[in-house]
Amino acid sequence: MGGRYFIRKVAGACLTIFMIVILNFVLFRMMPGSPDRILLRNPNVTADSMAAARARWGLDKPLIPDQLVDYLQATAAGDLGFSFKFHGEDVTDVLADRIWPTVILFGLGEILAIIFGLALGAYSGWRRGGPIDYIGNGISLILYSMPYFVIGILILGVFAIGLHWFPTSGMLTIGGGDGTFGGQLTDFLAHLALPVTTVAIGLIGQYSILMRSSVIETLGEDYVTTARGKGLTSARILRSHALPNALLPAVTLIAINLGYVIGGAITVEVVFNWPGLGTLTVTALEARDYPVLQGIFLLLSVSVVLANLIADLIYGRLDPRVRS
Amino acid sequence: MRSPLRDRIARTVAAFGLALAALLPAATIVHAKDILTLRVGTVEALDSLNPFETALNVGYEVFTLNYDLLVNFGPNNDPVPGFADSWTQSADQLSWTFHIRDGMKWSDGQPATSADVVYTYNLELQGTKNGGVVGLGYLDPYLKDSFVTAVSAPDPSHVVITTSRPTSKLTHSYIPIVPQHIWKNVTPANINDFLNNPPVVGTGPYQVVESTSQYVRLTRNRYYWGKQGAEDEIVIQYYPSAPDTMVAAFKNNELDYIHSPSAESFNQLKTAPNTVALASEGNGFTQLNYNTYTKGGGASTTALQDPLFRQALGYAIDKPTLIQKVLLGYGTPGSTQVPPWEKAWHTEPNDLRTFDIAKSNSLLDAAGYPRGADGTRVDKQGKPINLRLYTPNTDPSYAKDAQFIQDWFGQVGIKVSAQVLDEGTLVTDEALDTTKPIKTQLDYDMVIWGWVGDPDPNALLQILLTSSIGSTSDSQWSDPQYDALYDQQNEAATDAERKMYMDQMQQIFYDAAPYDILYYDNNLDAYHTDKFAGWQNQPVQGGAPFFQDGSINYTLLTDATLATPAPSVTANPAPQSSGGTVAPAPSVAPAPVPTDTGSSGSPLPLIVGIIAIAILLVGFIGLTRRRRAAAEDDE
Repeated sequence: MGGRYFIRKVAGACLTIFMIVILNFVLFRMMPGSPDRILLRNPNVTADSMAAARARWGLDKPLIPDQLVDYLQATAAGDLGFSFKFHGEDVTDVLADRIWPTVILFGLGEILAIIFGLALGAYSGWRRGGPIDYIGNGISLILYSMPYFVIGILILGVFAIGLHWFPTSGMLTIGGGDGTFGGQLTDFLAHLALPVTTVAIGLIGQYSILMRSSVIETLGEDYVTTARGKGLTSARILRSHALPNALLPAVTLIAINLGYVIGGAITVEVVFNWPGLGTLTVTALEARDYPVLQGIFLLLSVSVVLANLIADLIYGRLDPRVRS
Repeated sequence: MRSPLRDRIARTVAAFGLALAALLPAATIVHAKDILTLRVGTVEALDSLNPFETALNVGYEVFTLNYDLLVNFGPNNDPVPGFADSWTQSADQLSWTFHIRDGMKWSDGQPATSADVVYTYNLELQGTKNGGVVGLGYLDPYLKDSFVTAVSAPDPSHVVITTSRPTSKLTHSYIPIVPQHIWKNVTPANINDFLNNPPVVGTGPYQVVESTSQYVRLTRNRYYWGKQGAEDEIVIQYYPSAPDTMVAAFKNNELDYIHSPSAESFNQLKTAPNTVALASEGNGFTQLNYNTYTKGGGASTTALQDPLFRQALGYAIDKPTLIQKVLLGYGTPGSTQVPPWEKAWHTEPNDLRTFDIAKSNSLLDAAGYPRGADGTRVDKQGKPINLRLYTPNTDPSYAKDAQFIQDWFGQVGIKVSAQVLDEGTLVTDEALDTTKPIKTQLDYDMVIWGWVGDPDPNALLQILLTSSIGSTSDSQWSDPQYDALYDQQNEAATDAERKMYMDQMQQIFYDAAPYDILYYDNNLDAYHTDKFAGWQNQPVQGGAPFFQDGSINYTLLTDATLATPAPSVTANPAPQSSGGTVAPAPSVAPAPVPTDTGSSGSPLPLIVGIIAIAILLVGFIGLTRRRRAAAEDDE
């Protein structure tokens, strides 16, 4: 793959990230309701304590250039500031606590959706018009159009509240746990099962629909006709010729979606009270916790930009027609 | 030809299937055998372990478990021994002497003495000198309003506090006594950065040993001077913005106690087995407040500044209906700004307004707001009165209240347009910033919102002061007589004198009606009775066990599964008398487990994450290899 291509793509990504950082800052300050005001609903607050809070958070300085410059300098140094809501804690600590739960939940959910979605889509495309195709496609569309929280609440109602097979919420049973690693792992997996299923079900539709149409299109190509003419078996054609080409759009979709893994879906996390970045976003939003919101936004934007970059680079490697 | 990758994927899928199958029998919730854990659910997520930095109910709950106040709140919010076990007031009433319990120890074994009280109180006194604040400032009024001039320790067992005026407030103070040897480098200037990480050292019955984004865990204080409950551990779990998930967890027996479920879920819980669903009087209110600012701003009509106008509208509000329809009955009709929960201070005002559309109409006519041609009343400038009613998005009941009010006010000729606003926007709307021009500010007419008070009525009285404009005032109301009475009641020498001033303040407030108090909301709580018994409310009649004031009810719980209910304690048998060292608990109660810098603690997610990434890499490498077949073909 050309070095030029590589450099161009990386430079583009860096510029995008810089613009995101600035937009990040401006966007959240534009929201009405500064954080010191949110503190106001306690009757013991005086005008003095509010002024002290403003000064401590640097909100009494003019927005541009003082606050913006402070923010840029700090971000470049890796200091994302202190949380307003979790008084005194580093934003990086607040985020670090919650990244893993979200990544595991959505990472695993994506993987399951990819595996089952691509398989279902490939089979539907191959056996187009068959019963699996109709049923599979129909189900995929229905699931794809359902919001996460609807799927989540249904699953919760049936499997946790109805059948008591799984716990209803959270990530671990605290104050319980028999202490052994095996016990902890089982407990964790029991809590993970329903949310992961929700995420996987919600995402499966994307992959199966995409794969199906991609396979159908590929099967209409000239080289497939040629291969048939040469006498190759259907299975061989599918494996060696059709699927590798049909996978190209899927690869791009996978790479892009992985960028969103960090964002988490707020609705799933709230329904299952999963302590990830989604619930943190809601909490921070309500409290107007700018540093945490900026941190989350930055994290999410950077991961999406990086995922896109990787998608571009991989696509460039896979498809020789794209490299210049 | 077989594809190695296909086999690989097939094996992975099979592994998942096996794992899921293995989960089913193991999905029962894992419990430790020997540790009795009390699991409490709340919709607030703890913001800080530092008592001076928390703004939330759950923060107060945690620090009153972890620390003692100088004087604790008893079963009826009466003063009971806390850090001090007895106290006397001097003859001239200007000096209090507190006796610190002999032989008391901090949870790390260090002796707890009067020096710790002096340290804590001086932290507050120094921080609040010259208008400063300590932390968020929520605990400041407890000393400031008590006219404390000095705090000293003549010996390790005695604290002497002198005041410039007689006051009874020193025995109702929410300031926790913190250990000097841990907090010695904390000053008002750097207190905001002091995280107070676990294990948190205190003299209270339970100590925080673990704090994560999802919960906080407390274990027995082995050096506690008093009775502890049957529970060995307390876990308070957070369900931020997810009260229904909390209720689902409660029904599934994953929680023993929940605070603030929604009214609809609460009704379902009333018929659940082994469950007590408790609606108790709350120390707070929900109000409809008007923009009464007289010096400009964005109010749409001058009528809002006229107390006769506001009074007349008060007759167009049917409070019992609101309580029935919106709160499902869980509240009482509102009147003054001091809730009836504060029994010693609440007074029903004269001329109580009732729902009477005809009277409202005639009062509006008499006040000079005649109906126009289309039926809408006009104000004294001839403008049709069209009021905007804003409600914050934090509580869906406010929007429902707004709908009713819109209808009733419409019947008396006042047009109302209701809108739900984001909380942050509304807070900015209501807050006057004197450094900016007034023209663009205070752009609202009416708001529905609420307040929660302290055991002392000062907290709710002061939101109506002139000095609260720009901070806590919703109405920008200003009445010099009210301000003067506030100082008088605060400086009163006796409770009777204080009540006299407060009665006047309540009547003035009720007549002027800058707020119309719609109702006093109930607290809703629910708990299971098959695991723990000995549940007691605070106040004993008509209160609730937890999330009130102090932690006394946690220490009264007994184990419901024991055949013969033993006295409250399975571990620590120390009687409540002062003096006598407390024997450390036997092996049932684990020593507080130190964690590193109070974070998520378990390497488990990391390990699972690594496994997941490994699977991902395997799959990905396989998918991008073009020479091999890329996906299986189910046949």
